Order: sequence, then structure tokens, then C-alpha cells
Amino acid sequence: MTARRVVLTGIGVLSSIGNGVTEFTRGLREGRCGAGPITRFDSTGFRRQLAHEVHDFTPSAWVRHTPAEQLGRATQFSVAAARMAVSDAGLDPADLRGGPGLVTVGTTDGEADALDRLVEAQANGTEPAGLDPVGVGRLAAHRLALAVVKELRLPRAVPSVLGTACAAGNYAVGDGYDAVRSGEAEWALVGGADALTRRTFAGFHRLGLVASDRCRPFDADREGLLTAEGAGILLLESLDSARARGARVYAELLGYGLNCDAHHPTAPNMDSVAQVMRLALADAGVKPEEVDLVSAHGTGTPTNDVTEIRAVRQVFGDRPPRTVALKSMLGHSMGAASALGAAASALALTHGFIPPTVNHRSTDPECPVDCVPNHAVEADLRVVVNNGLAFGGNNAAVVLGRHEET
Amino acid sequence: MTTVAVPTDRHFITAWSAVSPYGVTSADYARGILTEDSGAGRAVPVPEGHAAQAACLVPGFEVREVLGRAGTRTMDRATGLAVTAVRELFDEASREERPVPVGTGTALVLGTTLGSAQSQHDFAMASFTGQKPYDVPAQFMPNVLMNCPAAASAIRFGLQGPNTTLAGGRPTGLIALGYARRLLAAGRAERVLVGAVEEYSPSRSWIEHHTRGADESAGPLGEGCALLLVEPGNGIPAGRTALAELLAVDIRVDVDDELASTAESSVRDALAAAGVEPSEVWAAVGGGLTGRVGHVETALLRRLFGAEAATRVDVHDRIGDTAGASAAFQLAALLATARRRPEAHGRPAVITSVDRDGSVACAVVRLLGEAP
Repeated sequence: MTARRVVLTGIGVLSSIGNGVTEFTRGLREGRCGAGPITRFDSTGFRRQLAHEVHDFTPSAWVRHTPAEQLGRATQFSVAAARMAVSDAGLDPADLRGGPGLVTVGTTDGEADALDRLVEAQANGTEPAGLDPVGVGRLAAHRLALAVVKELRLPRAVPSVLGTACAAGNYAVGDGYDAVRSGEAEWALVGGADALTRRTFAGFHRLGLVASDRCRPFDADREGLLTAEGAGILLLESLDSARARGARVYAELLGYGLNCDAHHPTAPNMDSVAQVMRLALADAGVKPEEVDLVSAHGTGTPTNDVTEIRAVRQVFGDRPPRTVALKSMLGHSMGAASALGAAASALALTHGFIPPTVNHRSTDPECPVDCVPNHAVEADLRVVVNNGLAFGGNNAAVVLGRHEET
Repeated sequence: MTTVAVPTDRHFITAWSAVSPYGVTSADYARGILTEDSGAGRAVPVPEGHAAQAACLVPGFEVREVLGRAGTRTMDRATGLAVTAVRELFDEASREERPVPVGTGTALVLGTTLGSAQSQHDFAMASFTGQKPYDVPAQFMPNVLMNCPAAASAIRFGLQGPNTTLAGGRPTGLIALGYARRLLAAGRAERVLVGAVEEYSPSRSWIEHHTRGADESAGPLGEGCALLLVEPGNGIPAGRTALAELLAVDIRVDVDDELASTAESSVRDALAAAGVEPSEVWAAVGGGLTGRVGHVETALLRRLFGAEAATRVDVHDRIGDTAGASAAFQLAALLATARRRPEAHGRPAVITSVDRDGSVACAVVRLLGEAP
């Protein structure tokens, strides 16, 4: 079996800095920050009041075959981003109907927003027997992928939802990579989706990890993360398939790595984070010195940033490649985060720029990297490493390379 | 140890465990599945305020009693069930002097519907009922995430390979098997523990109550965790017996409201990929739904494989509706049954799962192994 080269030819994005690949790219270049007041749930009584929300999203524009209210917000995001990715690849869903395919969507919270609303009803006196069955019907996590398959009419696609928390997007990208590379799938729609949830906000709030104003990764005065919602879905196909149909190629997927700290439920382990990058580089056949950019997990919490940068320096040495944290712009969109990171990495490779780490004032001496503060820079990029780290020590790193037709 | 698996196209199930309504050991499960007396009687009364009066619970399963007090303070039921299933598989392998290595070469692929619905419910409720909305029990934050059972199992046993939590509805166990096969084929692990977990809780009872079809005859819910050890053909250590070879996995979705033909195509394509004729199939184990969807599946299996093969292994009537773990329990029941039936060895068998929302899955295995 000859392994096929895998390329990324379509991007669908919903984010707090813009929806659709064009707006998203513009937002990355401009260094937009999508933080704003929370409107998705009643934030009365919380000491923190900001999050990154998706705006201007009309579910009925994307969900066409199912009554949109039957799908939770994260599932609606997943469907919308998948449609965007297919269209961005210059394809119609009908083009994907025949071949075996893969729809793998990563998520942290699934439809926790729907569960929050049911729990709120119970807190206000609704008996469990009286819960809204439509609301309950939204809960099952697997619907984030299944709804894509059903909405886009893709009968030969395998629908999986990967619940590997905040590394789930990269896990999904890796799954698509393996399936297309081996020939098991002709194409893969992969990425991540999460909607803002009160439960997760309350949890991070309680842990003291939510920033009061902005997320400032690697900054000496960073306070923490801002929770976010969003979705990033990528269309992957073989290079041969892309060439045959004259598709625009954003980037080539060169490889990825997965590992598990097996160490602590919430605190990342530096050696294990370094190891997942090494696994990804080895899989991609790329040497550390060939990497031009690291898209860090970069949550902006005091300890995680230090751990990750130490791991970056362990892998890349004392002069690591520029290392940016998109969460300064996008917030922490949970299971979507590393999928949006992969999308941004591909766009950076295509357009020759590095998206900045915004809200930055002074770099923490404990995080000694060039984080490309506040303003995007033009750069001739060839290889980008995109990190995703998660509670539970679920780590995933993806390596993307610039594609040049020769 | 580093990950140096040599990719191979052939994958074998070499061990299994099942923490089930029959008990925590695989022997308990095998005894329950094989007993003459089909066991609707496994259901026990549950407290008032749940959606039904009875459920099939893992008997006496209290996390800290089963797993001890160390490192279990925040384990919820789903997590405890998964950790116990991993322990049981490892302990049995060690007793038979063929221990399963841990470290970077061992992956865990664990299916689930939501993780612990009860943990999520309780955590969210604290935000609505506490003095402040952030008065949530922070130590249980990892428990609201779907990956808690898989991550906790990794921490307890040192599983440093890929650690994947997968949701796929009722066919989850088969989708996870397909995912595990991709990991092995790509050389990302030397062996994969693959299975699924489902806890019983009041929260889950109400979710199931509101999402079951009106045409279904709602039997009791079940719970537990079933795991399989899958290894590539060239990675099976001396002394470990291959119980079955994984020949084919087919997963697809009925998107055109043609469930019967979608299910039949899935099974026929899986058989073709496996090089198996329907007449060779020793057992076909269905997903156990009732109502219209379940009838489509049952009728298909009887028509393709005959009543004898289609009823050879009885699982859901015995352990209850294990939802996202059902397909993993079907596989474990098949292996438990085949072990006692020497005539099964060398014969192919089929596992199917059809969900209310149109997901369809079929796995074909060849039963191997030795008579006990």
C-alpha cells in the first residue's frame, strides 16, 4: 500500500473574529481580538464578564434538511463550518457522496449548552418528566458529526465525534490524515466545534483561570483565558485528487502525533508535551530546525504557558521558531481551538504571514519566545507545528507544510 | 519504550473484559451470557425519581470499594467503570502470565455517549443553586469532560499512547474499532484497548426516557464497560492467544430514509470486504433496539444468516440497554459464547448496530482461539 500525500483544500470557520475563511484570514492579519460581553447565558453574579462569542450566525442558512432547533448550537456550528469547507474547496456536497469519507469532529463540551438549559429549567422547578424532549434530543455528542453527514447527504461517510477535550480538533485532523493517507477514505471533513457554555465558564472561573479583560498569552501580566465558541472544519483529500480536479491547495498535512501524559487530570506535563511535538515531527519527517512557526496551545494561564514554552525550547533549543498564541484573538474555543489553529496555520502558509499574539505588553521572562506581539508579520513559511493540549493529558500536535506545485 | 510498531493490515482481538450487570469480572459476564436462564431478572429496583423503576446495575459497584481509596476521591461512576474494566483486563492477562505492556505503545480508545451525564448535571446545577454562580465544585471539573474515563484510566495504569474518547451513538464500539484499526495501521500504537463505557444514573435515565422512540418497548437500562485488546498480527506476544481476527468494519448513515437497504448494503459490503459468504457466518449479533429500527436490523440478520445464527448470542435482554456501550458488549458476548463452542473456531461472525438516527455499522470477525 503506497501512502498518499494529504492536502487541505477547503476551510470552514466560525469564530469571534469572523465567520468564513475570508473574514477569518482578514481578522488574523489585522490582529483582531474577539472578546466581548457574554450574551449567550445570563452572566449575572460572575466576577468575570467577558468571552469570545460567534456573531451573525443564522442556523437556518446552514441547516436545511432538519428543523434547526433540533440541533444544539455546537452541532449547528459543525454543520455550517462543514458546508463552508466543502464550498471553499470548490465542491458541492454531491461530489462527496459516492466515495468513502470521514467526518470526524472534535469537541470538549458537545451540547453542554443544551444541558445547561435543561438543568436551569430543573433548578427552576421543572420535573425531569416535564423536560423539553427537543432539548434533550440535542444532547448526544455524536450528533456533531452525524448532523454533518445527514445535512450534506453523505451516506458513505463514517461519523465520529472525538471528545478529547481541548486537543480534540487536532485529534480529528489526525484521524482524517490517517484515513486519507491510507486510502480508507477519499476525503475527510475534520475539525472541531464548541459553543459557549455556562458550565465551562463557571468551572474555569472557579479555578481562577478566567482573565478580567483580555487573554494575554506569554505576557508577564497574564491572568488567564477567556472562554470562547467557534468551529473549524477542514476538507482533506489526497494530493492526486486535488491535482486531478485543479483544486487550490492551502497546505499539505505532513504528519501528526498523539500522546497522553498519564500524569495529572489538569496540569500538563512538560516532557510529555515536548514528546508529542517530537512524535509529530518524526511522523512528518521534519527536523526541528526546519520548523518556521509554532502555533501554541497558548491558553494564557499562568502555569500552562510556562510549561508549554519550556517544552517548545526542549524540542527546538534556545532559539525556537516564532511561537504564537491564537487564543489571544479567538479566546479558548475548546475542542474547536486546535482545529482553528490548523486552519490559521494553513492560511499562514498560503499567504505568507504570521498571525500575531495580540493584547501583548511585555513578554514573561519565563516564556522566552518571539510571540509576534500585536501585529502580523510577513514571513516565508514552510513548516508550521500546531499544538493542542487538554485536560486529562490528551496531547496532539499537527505538522503542516507549504504546498508548491512543481 | 518508544512507539515502533510495524504497520500491518491484520488485526486481532487477543483479550477482553466486561464490567457488567453480572459483576466486575469477565468470568461473571461469560457466566451471565451463557446461562440457560435468560436474565430479564438482572434488573433491580432503583430509587424513586428515576425515569423507570428498575435498571441492570453492576452489582454492588461503589467506586471506592472496588478500586480502593487511593486516587479515587473524584471518580464518578463512568470513570470507575472504565478504570475497573482496564484493571480487569490487565489483571487477567497477568494471571495468565502474558501481561499487557503499558507506556507509550499502548493506546486507549474509549467510546461513550456523554461521559458521565450525572457529573455534568450536578456540576451545572451547582452553578444555578449555589450562592454565587461560580460556586461549582472545581475538583470535579475534569469529570464534566467526556474524556474523564479515558484520561483517568491512563493516569491509573500509565497508558501514554494515544488516548481517545469517541462518541458515535449505539454503534460507538464498532466506530471505535475502526478508529483503533487506523491507529494501528498508521503505526501510532503497538496495541489498542478499545471499548465503550456507559453509566446508569438518574440523569441518564431521564435522557433515555425523553429520546427513546414511541414505538419502542422500553426495557431496563444497563450499564458497564466492555473492552477489547486489539493487536497487529506481528505484535502478538508469544503465549497470547488470538481470540478473533478483525476482518472488516463498515460504517455508514441512512441519509435518504432507506434504512433497510442501507443496513443491508453495510452488512453485504462488510462481508465482501472480509471475503465471507453469509452461509459461513456462525453468529450474527444485533444492536438490540426494539421498534421499527430494531425490527429492520433483526429481520435483516435472520434473512441473511438464518434464525440460528441470529439468535446464537443473547446479550441485550440480559444486561439491559447499554446504549453507547452496546456494541462493545455484543463483541464481548460473542467472544464469551464462542470460547465455549469449539465448533465456532475458524468461523466468521457478524456484529451489527443500527441507531434511531440512521447510523449503521457492521463488523466481521473470524473466531479463533482454543477450547477451554
